[in-house]
Amino acid sequence: MPPGLDNLKHIVVLMMENRSFDHMLGSLTAVNPQIDGITAALSNPDTTGAAVQAQPLAEFQGQLDPDPDHHFPAVDLQIFGGNASPGRAANMQGFVKSYFNQRQDVGHSQKIMYYFAQNQLPVLTTLALEFAVFNRWFASIPGPTICNRAFAHYGTSFGRVDMDLLYVNEPFQSIYSRLINANPKHTAKLYYYDTTSSTMEITNLLQNQPELFGSYQQFLSDCSSGNLPDYSFVEPNYNDHDSDAGEEVASDQHPDHNIQAGELFIASVYNALKSSPLWPNTVLLIVYDEHGGIYDHVVPPTCTPDQFTASANDTGTGMPFAFDRLGVRVPAILISPWIPKGTVVNRVFDHASIPGTITKFFLGNYSPRSPRETSADVFIEPNGGTVDPTRNLLSLDTMRTDCPDFDV
Amino acid sequence: MALIHVPRPRNAMNPNRPVNALLKAQMLHLHDAESKLPVRHHTDIYINAIKTEGEAANYIRQVTEEIHAAHAAAAKKRAQPAPKLKRVIEIAAVADDGPVRKRARVAPNRAKKKAKTKLGRKT
Repeated sequence: MPPGLDNLKHIVVLMMENRSFDHMLGSLTAVNPQIDGITAALSNPDTTGAAVQAQPLAEFQGQLDPDPDHHFPAVDLQIFGGNASPGRAANMQGFVKSYFNQRQDVGHSQKIMYYFAQNQLPVLTTLALEFAVFNRWFASIPGPTICNRAFAHYGTSFGRVDMDLLYVNEPFQSIYSRLINANPKHTAKLYYYDTTSSTMEITNLLQNQPELFGSYQQFLSDCSSGNLPDYSFVEPNYNDHDSDAGEEVASDQHPDHNIQAGELFIASVYNALKSSPLWPNTVLLIVYDEHGGIYDHVVPPTCTPDQFTASANDTGTGMPFAFDRLGVRVPAILISPWIPKGTVVNRVFDHASIPGTITKFFLGNYSPRSPRETSADVFIEPNGGTVDPTRNLLSLDTMRTDCPDFDV
Repeated sequence: MALIHVPRPRNAMNPNRPVNALLKAQMLHLHDAESKLPVRHHTDIYINAIKTEGEAANYIRQVTEEIHAAHAAAAKKRAQPAPKLKRVIEIAAVADDGPVRKRARVAPNRAKKKAKTKLGRKT
């Protein structure tokens, strides 16, 4: 067993909000051509037919107002460019058209093509260049937050493509229930920022399993005391509010929340792990739940259908959806001192890979799991078996001592 | 590797920002959770009137705290020892102490009068 895997005891996932890969990491192609980001050839037509190029003009706040539409029909337009005919091909040519629909302003609609320059995002871009960046990590559904986050918790959205509640008594247990009910028992925790931000995973967990929840302060404390659970899911701050500590600015990076506040939060999570005694035993996955209606150039691939189908009425496109196609590409970075600097991963992943990986690593063969989760690739090779060195990302023989530090 | 400086946002705080779709969904989910709590844990906040992020944050905090309080109360109750039931033999012993004092009988006409008066007051 490679030492990185042999030492691995804790997996931490930080899920941010609503930004596409090209928007956040597209600039890195200029630094490392293996990273599939922005090139000069990329454009989208606006409603006058003029080609709008992707440009490094993204701003930290105030630019994407109103919040770009990322519900199922809008994302369908963004991916297929407005082509609703049978046998249509995705072309990623409808982003500007989609944003125009919200304000009917040609100039404003072009801003959906803007991306961040590398120096604007010192945390995310440094981590992407220093550890493993995924060229093909997609949202699980071409739709909004709640159904996409469901894939990270359950490996399915139970047929939902919207923001509605998910209900209990479904056939597939959450990754948290699987772990804490396992024999031998494993530990899991969902850390939300504070009670004023709370969690997006309300119905199935907050009502039934409050012991699974902790605050971000507790996460920091668990890191420093070496008491992290086997699996941790960290949520950012979803709203601006006051607390005993002062002003708490939303750190989720959801438009129109401030990008730099999210950078600080990501750095804080990373620093907490890096200074923890558990650093040699932990991997951190930073991933975004969906693209938030913002431009990305990579056509989402087809995938194994889920066992659910969303009706034409539910999708709002006049067509049913069998969960046989992924959503738009999002930033995803895997961090560990056992990962070689500059790793670029080209295999296809989506959020179903999260419970898929956690389950296989900690529990081995487990069922039932959704067809989507069962077929999703894993980003950490399972414990115990023969490890394929071409797939193992924690491949170094000795731990790195040159990992970056952030001044937060 | 050199320490990387992370700039802090300036003037980013805006609790008067209109509530975004994500927070609206979160409030609806919490509202559903709230409806399943015992009544004493309800917030009495009308969520359709919430317009700003600051107002949403206040509601989200209150419901989250009430959910935790409800679970804590249930756990406390669960941990308390069950009340002792009186055994049949003890009840029998009490019965042996003497005759039970009978309640004074109220004349049926008077009782009816009382009920009528009460009803009359209500309306």
